[in-house]
Amino acid sequence: MNRAAAFLAACLACALAAAGPASAAVERKVLRMAFRTAETGFDPQRIYDRYSVGICENLFEPLLTYDYLARPARLVPLTAEAIPEPEEGGTRYTFRIRPGILFADDPAFKGQRRELVAKDIEYSIKRFRDPRYASPYEWLFEHKIAGLDALAEAAKKTGRLDYDANVAGLEVRDRYTISFKLTEPDFNFLYILAMPNVVPVAREVIEAYGDDTMAHPVGTGPFVLKDWVRRSKIVLERNPNHRGYELDPRYADPADEWDRRAIDALRGRRLPLLDRVEIYPIEEEQPRFLAFVNREHDILDETPFEFIDQVLPNGRLAPGLARQGVSVFREEQPEITYDVFNLDDPVVGGYGPEKVALRRAMVLAHDRGQEIFIVRKGQALAAQSPVPPGVVGYDAAFRASHQEHDPPRAKALLDMYGYLDRNGDGWRELPDGRPLLVDYKYSAGSQANRQLAELWSKSLAAIGVRIYANAVQFADLLNDKRVGKFQMAGSAWIADYPDAQNFLQLLYGPNTGQSNEARFRLAEFDRLYRLSQAVPDSPERNALYREMNRLILAYAPWRLGVHRVFNHLQYPWVKGYKKHPILYTNFKYLDIDTAARKAAAK
Amino acid sequence: MSAVLPDNAPPVMHQSPGLWTLAWRRLLNDRVGVFCLAIVVAYVSMMLASYAGLVAGDWNKEKGVSYANPSFLAGAENLEAREVTNRDFGTTAKPVDLSDIDPLAPRYKEWEERAAKIAVTEVKRAETLAFGGDKWGRDVLEKAIKGSEVSIFVGLTAALFATLIGTILGALAGYWGGRVNDFLEWFYNIFTSIPYILLILAFAAVFKRGLDTIIVILALTGWTGIYRLVRAEYIKHGGREYVKAAQAIGASHFSRMFVHILPNASHVILVQLSQHVVSFIKAEVILSFLGLGVPVDMVSWGTMLAEAQNELVIGKWWQLFAAGASMAILVTAFSMLTDSLRDALDPKLK
Amino acid sequence: MWQMIPTLAGVILLIFFLFNWVGGDPAQVLAGKISNPEQIANIRKQLGVDQPYWYQLWVFVQQVFTFDFGRSWSTNEEVSRILLTRVGPTLTIMVPVLVIETVLAVALAVMVAYVRGSLTDRTIMVICTTAMSISFLVYIIFGQWLFGFILGWFPVQGWSESYWRNLTHYAPLPIMLAIFVGLAPALRLYRSFFLEEINQDYVRTARAKGLPEKTVMMKHVLRNALIPILTNVGIYLPSVFVGSFLLEVFFSIPGLGREIVTAVNRSDFPVIKAVTVYLAVLTMIVNLLVDVMYKLVDPRVSFK
Repeated sequence: MNRAAAFLAACLACALAAAGPASAAVERKVLRMAFRTAETGFDPQRIYDRYSVGICENLFEPLLTYDYLARPARLVPLTAEAIPEPEEGGTRYTFRIRPGILFADDPAFKGQRRELVAKDIEYSIKRFRDPRYASPYEWLFEHKIAGLDALAEAAKKTGRLDYDANVAGLEVRDRYTISFKLTEPDFNFLYILAMPNVVPVAREVIEAYGDDTMAHPVGTGPFVLKDWVRRSKIVLERNPNHRGYELDPRYADPADEWDRRAIDALRGRRLPLLDRVEIYPIEEEQPRFLAFVNREHDILDETPFEFIDQVLPNGRLAPGLARQGVSVFREEQPEITYDVFNLDDPVVGGYGPEKVALRRAMVLAHDRGQEIFIVRKGQALAAQSPVPPGVVGYDAAFRASHQEHDPPRAKALLDMYGYLDRNGDGWRELPDGRPLLVDYKYSAGSQANRQLAELWSKSLAAIGVRIYANAVQFADLLNDKRVGKFQMAGSAWIADYPDAQNFLQLLYGPNTGQSNEARFRLAEFDRLYRLSQAVPDSPERNALYREMNRLILAYAPWRLGVHRVFNHLQYPWVKGYKKHPILYTNFKYLDIDTAARKAAAK
Repeated sequence: MSAVLPDNAPPVMHQSPGLWTLAWRRLLNDRVGVFCLAIVVAYVSMMLASYAGLVAGDWNKEKGVSYANPSFLAGAENLEAREVTNRDFGTTAKPVDLSDIDPLAPRYKEWEERAAKIAVTEVKRAETLAFGGDKWGRDVLEKAIKGSEVSIFVGLTAALFATLIGTILGALAGYWGGRVNDFLEWFYNIFTSIPYILLILAFAAVFKRGLDTIIVILALTGWTGIYRLVRAEYIKHGGREYVKAAQAIGASHFSRMFVHILPNASHVILVQLSQHVVSFIKAEVILSFLGLGVPVDMVSWGTMLAEAQNELVIGKWWQLFAAGASMAILVTAFSMLTDSLRDALDPKLK
Repeated sequence: MWQMIPTLAGVILLIFFLFNWVGGDPAQVLAGKISNPEQIANIRKQLGVDQPYWYQLWVFVQQVFTFDFGRSWSTNEEVSRILLTRVGPTLTIMVPVLVIETVLAVALAVMVAYVRGSLTDRTIMVICTTAMSISFLVYIIFGQWLFGFILGWFPVQGWSESYWRNLTHYAPLPIMLAIFVGLAPALRLYRSFFLEEINQDYVRTARAKGLPEKTVMMKHVLRNALIPILTNVGIYLPSVFVGSFLLEVFFSIPGLGREIVTAVNRSDFPVIKAVTVYLAVLTMIVNLLVDVMYKLVDPRVSFK
């Protein structure tokens, strides 16, 4: 028995010794990369994290999408024939779908070819309001489409949504035409229809797979889900039913090198070019980075900040990587990280001068320079308003000195409004003499979040304010913020669509209990917000946005953090690369030069 | 020296040296044991000194640039040491004026005047630190010293609690036998049928995060081994004559359990205690790595290792080394001391 | 055999107490980016956490016996499927670790026990103690950096569908690191087993018969010491399923351990509950088998 074990061990040892990188001999175009966070699933109406949604971008097609090269982001028709003009004062939008668009094959279609029709769009929009799915994006269609709220109310009572009921606002005029009627004017509605999860699914498929729709995405997109090992591997392959795209170079910037390279690589070719995409969610930074360096991956999406000086020492590509022909795409992402105060809290909340003073002092005490240069290694822009660059309504001339690190002004403010250290223990008390201790909640499990909490702790200690940094699980944090069970908490928002409204709605009073985590209810702000909704993009609307941003600075419901800058790396055999600010993936525009990759492997 | 003893002075003992005296003598003869004891004592005094603020009191102070080089590597290039600025951030726009809507506007003038009076002190950051700096420019050596405080405290406290639980339950089961024993054995079987790591993770999944949580989790999951050994000791001693004698002179159950038998089982408990300190110090590191533990304004070896996990790739090895080595030295010394202790207490085993 | 039932009942109670009582309300896991109180109430209803405790316990008991823990709260995947698909990679790592480590440790322990008390013995013991004192984390971080990055011998992450490729390509480095970490404590433990046997009377008798020390060691001591060693391996066996969680996290191996760590971070209770219950059952079965084996090997041992 002992001998047998030893023999087995010897065999294994031999096998281990023989280990070495084996090269695949297949000539197919395969792209390999990592995601920073695990996905949750691919039922477009049931997901919200950007990695799962990113996969859906490739499996499904919305009516509209964004042009690949145009900056700022520009809407173009995808399955729709054209971008409709707003009718009836911005309350009606009518689409005609291009005939002949096919879903990917699936057993649910019983061997038939299945064409995309207007009914599919109607069905999929209704799914957002189905209580059975508890869709995280239900809010997109709340108080939005005429008659849909009534249908959803009825469904809440019975637990079942009647998909056959007619909804006035979702009018299917013929096989290919659908007309949306809104309850009030909305000039950003088209952006909603370009979101990668506002996409048609086929009713047969959804009904066939019941609870398993997350694992059976069937769409009209250029790729299909070939293989999926949850949280560790996602494999996409080309959809043979897809009609193909062509690159549209009309909106490209001729001076932009990325645009030029993409046009050179892709012009006139039938897209997509990749046969297969393999995605590996890797949550630890070191292996994700090393996998790219060791050429196990072709793309490194969002180089971890920790390793930025390995990749871009002094802002220039490291010689080792440059020699291999690696390129860096620097992206100022349309997103904001911020810390939110709970305005309903008796200590940090309130709208009176004394309460505002405490929040403003804490904001002034925060050492944002260290956030940018130490935590983010210089890869971030200081936010001046909630609205990031690259978003319609962004104001480059808006500068908020009220958010800049200034401990003397912070101390002066606290002294003035009675937050003094009365008992000499080194910590300030509230004006009424009770102790002042601020609870800060942040998401556990990430080193960067922990560093940000450390930074708060240090920054406030420097002005004599005590903070208790409380690491909670991400899900708990979301919930606590939603129900207002916090004093101060870390947050981030990535644009769903490139308009300032998507960011300013985070402080709109009626959104309290949903996206308005600060529970900020300022009558003037809400009035301005409602005004801005009824106006299309114009200087007039920008003036409204500016007023709203000023109110945010004055009342400080947030500490504005940063807009992160991400560096995406690619090996030279990846062709056609450009990162889109709203869409997360770009697989359908990529090409792999397999010969170059092979040559490099030698 | 007074020739007359006060009345309440303890009577002088003239008996053969007890178990502990003998064990102590044996331990002193074991050179390795003494050496390890010295190291452990040194660590504990360091921990106490740091607790009292005598050393590493200002570990939290940022004295150097980001990832400052250790002084013995003074010349090496440090790409991470970028200048931290809070000015302008590249915009030249005029700051927006809020005076018409600002609730603080009425006191703007007073605010300016007061702020102007508060002095700003610019700290000069050093290029090198004794054993290098961390991300914020704090001294890694001071962090390792301060970190010993939390790590040893967690290990020690959790081990004490685990030993306490294990001893009490073990004593109850061993002493009473019967139903009590059956019930506690059942309880023991439940805890041991779940793999230890999984048990810790399951507890971690439901508790809030914090230092006390780590101690509670380790204590609640770590008592089983001690329970088993203590129970065996109590079964062994329960029938012995001295216990029966104690019963005869009317000693209560409590007194028999904890006054008479306990001292005779204490060598087992002591060895277990020190073994658990070692394993809990190691466990703290893992739990802190998983983000389950130490708050941000504290430092432990576990948080240092978690911070250092990406630093090796960027060439900043000193934090990993400082935390790893401090821990390794203490744990080695502690384990070898435990071995010596066991040999000293139970010479048969040698 | 029948002892298992109360223990299993206890395990079920303990887990129920932890997750349904102590654990927080999980509804927000499914609620997403924005959700209103109605949605939360709806989700609570779907999860059944608005039911009375006795009913939830009853549901849990049913789940245990029907092997149906429903779906993961965070990915909606069937829990049974998660367990089945994640066991493979974990075993690919841990079975070779267990085998190689045991064989190496036994071989080294015999050698060390043979020269017990010598300088070699003591040196090896000191090395073992020191090796055990370095955190597993340090080994992994350093090992991945040295072998995966600086030397480039092994990939730093990844997994494929092919068992053979996994074993020859992705698994060696994690296996090596795990053996490196596990060897020292095993060696120490097995050495103590050997020493215990060496001090037994039958060994003295054998020596008195004039048998050479080598024969005594190999024939008598080794054979008898194998009983506690195999018992120890048996007891360790269930931990094999989760024991490699740090490795799996660092090397992105889609195993059970990584799944549990993710589940802990995402409050994905059904997954943790299922793994805990079934590993407890497995432990009980292994313990039973070990008892049976004892009886076969050593007739003096009888069942209670």
